[in-house]
Amino acid sequence: MDPQDLETLNALLEHDVGVSEKIKEQVKEFDKRVRIIVGILGKIHSTPSKSMPELLDSVDPVLLSCREITQGIASTIPPDQFWRWKDMWSNSMRGAIFAAALIEYLRHGSLLSLPRASEILGIDEEWKDRFSLPVEDYLHGVISVVNELSRYAINAVTLGQFEEPVRISSFVKEIFSGFTMLNLKNDSLRRRFDSLKYDLKKIEEVVYDVSLRKLVPPAQAVLS
Amino acid sequence: MPGDSVASQIFEQFREDLDQGNDRRERLIKVPPNRPARRVQTNILFKASRDVTNISKKAIFLIHRIVLEDSTDDRALALRAAASGREKLAEANAIFAAMRPELVGDRFWRYQRQVSPGLQEYIEALSFAHYIEHDALIGYQQVQDALCDSNGPFFPLTVSDYLLGLSDLTGELMRFAISNIARRGGRPKASQVCAFVRGCKSDFERFTPHVRELSKKQSVTANSLEKIEAAAYAIAVRSSEYDIPQEMLDDLVAQASTRFHITDRQEGGYTEGHV
Repeated sequence: MDPQDLETLNALLEHDVGVSEKIKEQVKEFDKRVRIIVGILGKIHSTPSKSMPELLDSVDPVLLSCREITQGIASTIPPDQFWRWKDMWSNSMRGAIFAAALIEYLRHGSLLSLPRASEILGIDEEWKDRFSLPVEDYLHGVISVVNELSRYAINAVTLGQFEEPVRISSFVKEIFSGFTMLNLKNDSLRRRFDSLKYDLKKIEEVVYDVSLRKLVPPAQAVLS
Repeated sequence: MPGDSVASQIFEQFREDLDQGNDRRERLIKVPPNRPARRVQTNILFKASRDVTNISKKAIFLIHRIVLEDSTDDRALALRAAASGREKLAEANAIFAAMRPELVGDRFWRYQRQVSPGLQEYIEALSFAHYIEHDALIGYQQVQDALCDSNGPFFPLTVSDYLLGLSDLTGELMRFAISNIARRGGRPKASQVCAFVRGCKSDFERFTPHVRELSKKQSVTANSLEKIEAAAYAIAVRSSEYDIPQEMLDDLVAQASTRFHITDRQEGGYTEGHV
């Protein structure tokens, strides 16, 4: 091979290695923060509803600090190369979406939209070719919320919040019917969607238990 | 009715988004079934990686066939082989040109995995034609220049596709060298190829940590190299011991190379555990 060509190729590859190292560093930090957030959110299962706002507020600063990370990664990615590197942080990203969407549900009982999720994570529309939030990652995060809520339904009952499972049930059903509208290909998203029915079943059973024992007003249970 | 909820409106958006991505991926892999015959240039068609692979394979076989023809002027033969190979590859260029709109901007990296297999095969064929004509390795920029038309490059060439494509070239050169040995006057050519493949192998070695799958291909290259070397060895040994005529030598070498084909089959092709 021509020595000069050899050098050029080596320089190109070294440059890529540099980019990848820089991303790796930032992803490590991203992951660390997401773990802290998910750790705090684990406490929802033992937090009575009146102390919930306080718990959720304590997550906010950490979640918002992820903006530094997205900003950092976006400035590292060369133009047009978003899809080349995105696999490096999709896991952390899905974790962050999960946290943001779970908080949104616990605060307002509603589904966090994708644009709103981007906004919370400080993802700028202008970075489009370098950094964005793909639908797939967002949906992964939403599925994790459903997984978590099926646990929360049970624990809420233990804490004496009998109407919570009913609320969760109607929320989760809505998400589920949303997913059935998608033409998923045979990938991890599809498999995780397929497992959603078990979460649904679990929640249904809790709703059944509480309504059977007349722990919730019957009208509310029927409404779900 | 949950179907009218906010969530379902949101998900409707997602469906479009996901479908678009999946459809594009499909288009890049295979030709749509209702392709009208002979309308290569129409830009509504997105012909694909698989077609490029087929064309490239045909180009490689074409070159192999032509260089083995009987001729008194090997140089003219080589030039004709290279030219025919390139002509065949022009069909692949038309496909790349049609793929361009699917690969603009950040889309290139999104669908890079769909493009790579065909592209690497193309680079293999192109570098083979280049070697036959110039006895040299095609440069990175030369490949990028080939992936162009009057509107500029079809898409950016990645270093990894370039290197992986070239790595496949060594297998073709092995075939070329072995079949050349049995030809009159082909032996110097074979030893030249041998040196060239050896050079490729050592040049690529430094890139292996950076390019995924290159180390696997390096071991395939090592196998090809061994086969060429063994054939060269057979010639050297026999011709030094006896002063045998060229025709007899041709027979001996032919025997040696068939033996390799047989061991090849017994091992079941590539020896991957060899790394």
